[in-house]
Amino acid sequence: MSDKTINISDVVNLPLDLKEQKKALEQKSPAVVEGKVKVYDPNKDNVKNLLEMLKNKLSRQTVSSLVGCVHCGMCSDSCHYALARPHDPTMTPAYKADQIRQIFKRYIDWTGRIFPWWVHAKTPKNDEDLNRLKNIVFGTCSGCRRCTLNCPMGVDTAVLVRLTRGLLTELGIVPEGVFVVDKDSWETGNQMGVSQEDYIETLEWQEEEVQAELDDPSFKIPIDKEDCDFMYTVNPREIKYDPRSIAYACKIFHMAGESWTMPSFGWDQTNFGLFSGDDKLGGYIAKNLYEAAKRLRAKRIVISECGHGYRSSRWEGYNWAKYKQDIPSESVLITLIRYINQGLIKVDPSRNPLPITYHDSCNLARSGDLTEEPRWILERICTDFREMHPNRSDNFCCTGGGGALSMVEYKPLRIEVAKVKADQLKATGAKLVCTSCHNCVDGLSDLIKHYKLDMQVVQILDLVAEALVIPEKTEKK
Amino acid sequence: MSEFLRILEDEVQIVALAFMATVYTIRLIWMFRFKAGKEVTKPVGSPRVGVAYSMMNVAMPWAMESARKNLSFYVQFVIFHLGVLMAITATLILPYWPEFFESEPIVRIFQLFMGAAFAVGLIRLIRRITSPVMRLISTPDDYFSVALLTAWFAAGVFAMPNQYEVSEWPLILFFGMTTLFLIYVPFSKISHYLYYPFTRYFLGKTMGHRGVFPRKKGGEKPAGLE
Repeated sequence: MSDKTINISDVVNLPLDLKEQKKALEQKSPAVVEGKVKVYDPNKDNVKNLLEMLKNKLSRQTVSSLVGCVHCGMCSDSCHYALARPHDPTMTPAYKADQIRQIFKRYIDWTGRIFPWWVHAKTPKNDEDLNRLKNIVFGTCSGCRRCTLNCPMGVDTAVLVRLTRGLLTELGIVPEGVFVVDKDSWETGNQMGVSQEDYIETLEWQEEEVQAELDDPSFKIPIDKEDCDFMYTVNPREIKYDPRSIAYACKIFHMAGESWTMPSFGWDQTNFGLFSGDDKLGGYIAKNLYEAAKRLRAKRIVISECGHGYRSSRWEGYNWAKYKQDIPSESVLITLIRYINQGLIKVDPSRNPLPITYHDSCNLARSGDLTEEPRWILERICTDFREMHPNRSDNFCCTGGGGALSMVEYKPLRIEVAKVKADQLKATGAKLVCTSCHNCVDGLSDLIKHYKLDMQVVQILDLVAEALVIPEKTEKK
Repeated sequence: MSEFLRILEDEVQIVALAFMATVYTIRLIWMFRFKAGKEVTKPVGSPRVGVAYSMMNVAMPWAMESARKNLSFYVQFVIFHLGVLMAITATLILPYWPEFFESEPIVRIFQLFMGAAFAVGLIRLIRRITSPVMRLISTPDDYFSVALLTAWFAAGVFAMPNQYEVSEWPLILFFGMTTLFLIYVPFSKISHYLYYPFTRYFLGKTMGHRGVFPRKKGGEKPAGLE
């Protein structure tokens, strides 16, 4: 295990990389040409534009968080960046939030406009300052909201970080990864740029896999079927890197005798707008999903395992899109509980004998409502479940949240601060860490590899599929 | 009692209070001019329960890890704010009901709270100066606000016996500082109590709506069991 600590100035002074932006301009990328994704323009007065946008984007909620901080410092003990780097005060959440707070104070608040030095109100002087701001809000915070829930005043620092990210996204002052994912999201309707052909082919491939496993050629993954009980939506990572999880879910729905479908478009339940702070993108992606359900007259939307996907599709997306929720949407965890509880599927916990712990995704536990649901399922599908401490809404981030996995330039810092999570995992003595989030799977896998933990990452669907008792007549001969 | 002290305790305080109230009113109007976020999703929990839970958070140190793990800090917080309460109460009682402080036990209770708050103020000032984290995030206003309150508590301890016939200076100092305090507060971080209901309300409403507040400890019925 490495005790090496990186120099934070190497992170905050990382230059603005424009290779992908230039490439997109040369290729006349539709999202760029149409102005949906902004590219950096050094000839514009970006500082002035940021200030104008800040004024327009402020809400009563964000203003209360901007004026409410008393600088008590209690947030530093709640942040994994600060805990892993006790020698580095710049990791304190209040300091990170102060980067936008001081701009707000200088231009919008009272005292800071008259006596800026008294309240440390100041303005970014140039684009270099904006780039530094970019590195702080994108590179040193995963937006996990642990500090928010531990703030005595109720200041929502994660929301302030997201607000700042959104302003910088509008100026094209973003990490390369964020630019690429935003662009792909606008152009393909999903954050990994999966083409419709690839999506359909992957579903057909998984359909064949399940048919072979069940020895049941009648098994189908219904696409665009109307009037079903629910429409199942997935994370593009499942299509690209983990199609088994789709097969598992589909097999379980089939075993439960469910009436369900998957849309040919509007299937991405994830939403990079949450990470880039771009509400317009967030609204666009979420609306695709809601409109698909409407088009198919589905009675419910079921969201596969993903923390930020659940938060975006179940909660934030409706607000970004200003789309009044007309049908219920739920996590697949709730669907699974219903199946197990009503006896629609049978599970055998002895098929998962290894010691398992559960990692609460930040977006499920602190920004969603799902903490007891995964535990209820785990208690029925494995024999040795061990709690991680702290847990539920006190749990630490997998360190890959907030879009961190797409920003490779900040990986050294991300891995260093992951020591907090690594210690937490190690203390459980578990061989498997289960999570209900694809992003957490990657975040945890990275740190498990780096800190050489004897542990593997699984998801609830993997374990349910493993424990699923398939009646003999349909089991593969 | 001299006319100067009488005016300082009465008319000057009323003017300073009116000033503070006026600035606060303008401040609230300013805040309400910002658009309110609108929630259009179907709730899982109750926004009202969430707001109540969020507001009461201050009285539930067990509910927040930052308080649970730093109980001494939480105790300091309670003492400090009780000191504020006692000092404010004293400024309202002294001019209009001076006989209240003829009781020695009452005087001692007020002195005890303000003295303890003074000690906490000193501890907080030292923490703010010595901790690298606190130094980084502290502004001149942060230092001045804590110092002002700490000095105010000390002045309160000496003013409490209300023995103006012996010496008026402790009372002049206390009410002089109160005046400064009332005028300065709306522009400083001390006005955080004005924002507390808002930050906690907004957070509680969102988290209550989503079923995150009240925070779950385990054993709650999961969704899907209907």
